[in-house]
Amino acid sequence: MSLSPHTTPSGFLLPSIHAAPPFFTLQPKAETQALVTEQWTRLILSYARHRRLFYLRVEDAEPPGSDWDEVLRNDRINRRLPPSHLSYILDDMVSKNKAMYEPVKQTRSVLLFWRLPEEWAEVLHDWASSTAQLNTILTFFEIVEPPVPSQLSGIPDTLLRRAISILTKTNRAQVIAVSDGEGVRFLAGNVSK
Amino acid sequence: MGGNQSVPKVTKQDRAILDLKLQRDKVKQYQKKIQAVLEREHEIAKQQLAAGNKGRALTTLRQRKYQESLLAKTDGQLENLEKLVSTIEFSMIEVSVLHGLQQGNEVLKQIHKEMNIESVEKLLEETQEAREYQREIDEMLANNLTSEDEEAVQLELQALQTEAVRFVLSLDSHL
Repeated sequence: MSLSPHTTPSGFLLPSIHAAPPFFTLQPKAETQALVTEQWTRLILSYARHRRLFYLRVEDAEPPGSDWDEVLRNDRINRRLPPSHLSYILDDMVSKNKAMYEPVKQTRSVLLFWRLPEEWAEVLHDWASSTAQLNTILTFFEIVEPPVPSQLSGIPDTLLRRAISILTKTNRAQVIAVSDGEGVRFLAGNVSK
Repeated sequence: MGGNQSVPKVTKQDRAILDLKLQRDKVKQYQKKIQAVLEREHEIAKQQLAAGNKGRALTTLRQRKYQESLLAKTDGQLENLEKLVSTIEFSMIEVSVLHGLQQGNEVLKQIHKEMNIESVEKLLEETQEAREYQREIDEMLANNLTSEDEEAVQLELQALQTEAVRFVLSLDSHL
């Protein structure tokens, strides 16, 4: 059997480890499992970035047909990641700030941080300043579904809010609330801090 | 700019713009919903027709037509909202342009204050005086020479002139 990288129909390059059957089973030895978890974390995040996926649910590992089939299953070696193993990996990712449970108070679904909220904050501010929208009042909807698609198109509300709250701490954004909803105004701020 | 600038105050205008934009977003979302319904109804009409329920298909299509008219109406509303938003944003730019012009005018005024006609005249007068003063000094220096000195100067001039003439002649003879 050959262990080799494989390109999926969506154009994602799976590493050769993805063709190794033991990779899919929870390892009894803690050190081995730590390595496996690390590999899975990296794989999940890069695939999420590739497809712009923000959520991963334990149930995505169950019946085929989810967005994650290409990664969570490998039909060429007849293996799939069991939900229990995925659940273990998600738990580890949350503990390492690579993801967060979303919604909170459950452990079946996570919001993936293939960009950390801090990094999203920079992307957000860069977008506002490069599209000349500093000092303009924007609605959240306008950011998530801009007329011209941007890196922020389709970003989940939770991430957007976290990014904005990071920017408000350095006076680079200001949240404005009215009875009907909320808006945000980005400010140039000072670069030093 | 620079330094520790703080967050600007939220004015009534800001709130008004935000309200307007939120309304606009709602219309947009509503349109999306109707669009989805339209597609779904089209499917349903097809299915009903295939199943031989001509009456049902017709009802569905009527509903669809109604939804379409709603969509057209919201298009008009959306346009109005968008126009209003851009008018406000443009007016805000105009305000800032006006502010800029005012400031420029202020600076120009200040510069003019420092450069009024009287002070220019005074300056010119002073220059004139200085020039006359210089001329007086020149004259005084010239008058200070004794007649002998003057004679020596004249002689030196003559010597230089003859030398120059000789030089020219020597050049000619070489040719």
